[in-house]
Amino acid sequence: MRAPFYEFGAFGSGTALVVALIVGAAFGWCLEQSGMGSARKLVGQFYLTDLTVLKMMFSAIVTAMLGAFWLGRVGLLDLTRVYVPETWVLPQLAGGAIFGAGFALGGLCPGTSCVAAASGRGDGMALVAGMFGGVLVTGLGFRFLERFYDVTARGTFTLPQALHLPYGAVVALVTGVALVAFRAAEYVEGRHAA
Amino acid sequence: MIDRAAPHPAPYADPYVCGVGLGLVLLAAYVVMGRGLGASGAFASSASGVVAALSPASARANPYFARYAGAAGGPWLDWLVFELAGVAIGGLVSAYFAGRLRFEVERGPHTSRAARLLMALGGGAVMGAGAVLARGCTSGQALTGGALLSVGSWLFMIGAFAAAYVVAPLLRRAWR
Amino acid sequence: MIGRDTSGSRRALARVALALGAGAVLAGSPYAAGRGRIDVQALARTSEREDDHVTAVELARWIRERRPAVRVVDVRTRKEFDEYHIPTAEWIPLDSLARARFDANETIVLYSEGGGHAAQAWVFLRALGYPRVFYLRSGLYEWLDDVMSPAVPAIPSPADSAVAALSRYFGGVPHVGERAATTVAKVRRRGC
Repeated sequence: MRAPFYEFGAFGSGTALVVALIVGAAFGWCLEQSGMGSARKLVGQFYLTDLTVLKMMFSAIVTAMLGAFWLGRVGLLDLTRVYVPETWVLPQLAGGAIFGAGFALGGLCPGTSCVAAASGRGDGMALVAGMFGGVLVTGLGFRFLERFYDVTARGTFTLPQALHLPYGAVVALVTGVALVAFRAAEYVEGRHAA
Repeated sequence: MIDRAAPHPAPYADPYVCGVGLGLVLLAAYVVMGRGLGASGAFASSASGVVAALSPASARANPYFARYAGAAGGPWLDWLVFELAGVAIGGLVSAYFAGRLRFEVERGPHTSRAARLLMALGGGAVMGAGAVLARGCTSGQALTGGALLSVGSWLFMIGAFAAAYVVAPLLRRAWR
Repeated sequence: MIGRDTSGSRRALARVALALGAGAVLAGSPYAAGRGRIDVQALARTSEREDDHVTAVELARWIRERRPAVRVVDVRTRKEFDEYHIPTAEWIPLDSLARARFDANETIVLYSEGGGHAAQAWVFLRALGYPRVFYLRSGLYEWLDDVMSPAVPAIPSPADSAVAALSRYFGGVPHVGERAATTVAKVRRRGC
């Protein structure tokens, strides 16, 4: 099994940065093509008028999830060498809530703000500046955050482990939930258009 | 180049097709690099770089910045920094070809540019704080961690969307 | 990627997702390495030779000497690990072992409360092909008894003195004569 290529030494850190540029460009392209560079369109998610965010995010998650599962299953990808973000239950719930509040206020997320800024949107640029400032200030005040930052650490902790289900069962579950969510999204959008 | 933006911007692409495309990009990152995407990490790295440039001692003494400043290659030759630069480039190119490149401050019809810019600035700052605490944002946690079924990433997503739906109604007027 | 009517492609995508998702239930583990191969004969021979475990004192020596490429792995619950764990140990519960990453040149020492789960983990890691795996035969109990509060005779031999010194290095309290119950951790005489 020779993938992930970088983990098996196929290329070095210099090339990795070039890969980063290319991957980022593809990422930015997909975001802009679906209109995620427009705050006006994006906030439609929160007012239930335009659920593109849900469709985009969930489609991407399901695609990558199924892809990773099956490539792992057929032995083309060594999943143990793919970095899985670790879990800190309370900090990530709290951080998520804070992030979500900012998201609703700003109308863009960190990635889409770069797309918006690159498309000439002043609000995108302001958000990028705000993000930078927010991270900077939070980092400077990290001392006050430190105690809470590391509570409820669970290390690498996946849904299959938490639910005591096989990986494939969780994959099926998430796929099913996503497909139902898409149906619901079409219905909700249809109601609004009517 | 700005003239190209004028009368007929192309319609947006299908969100599901784009989503699958994005998922394939994410999968490619897993396969090629053994890691996923991100955005807020690039902000953390560059903030660390700025602090380190202004005061190397402070950067070293701060446990949050030290991690990024002290990484192999330093805070600027960071994978996420380059990736985010790529995001901007990809967005720019896509907008150019779709005729969506234009200077504008997107806002509701009754909101001034200044007010909207302040919202964006504030929203960004709050997201920055949240991203530090949660170790990521919608790209790094929701997409990357979500697809790999990390519990923390799903908790982040739930927290984020729940909070957004609570806060958004208070700002409805900004977009109406 | 033009905004035409794409309901056909949407339906196709949905069908593919449904098929791949449903298939995942029956597919087994995506961690190819997670399926392992058990060579019963070879494992049995290793166990008979007593080449499958280490004593607590041996482990303590390895840790103190900072023997290279040794990884001490605690396979208990997170709560138990947080209460007390052998110095330098890392926490990898049983169900995470399949996805853990070890180098082939590393010496892996597994331990659990009484040794049962660690012995099982030994089989798992050997089945995954790691060549240098050991477990602490009587688990944390052995560590607490033999390292943290060893019984040392009133007139110690050089070997006894060495054990006493080793114990003190880890903050243990050697006792003269009879084995004393440990006060270092709350030992629940239950679990593997």
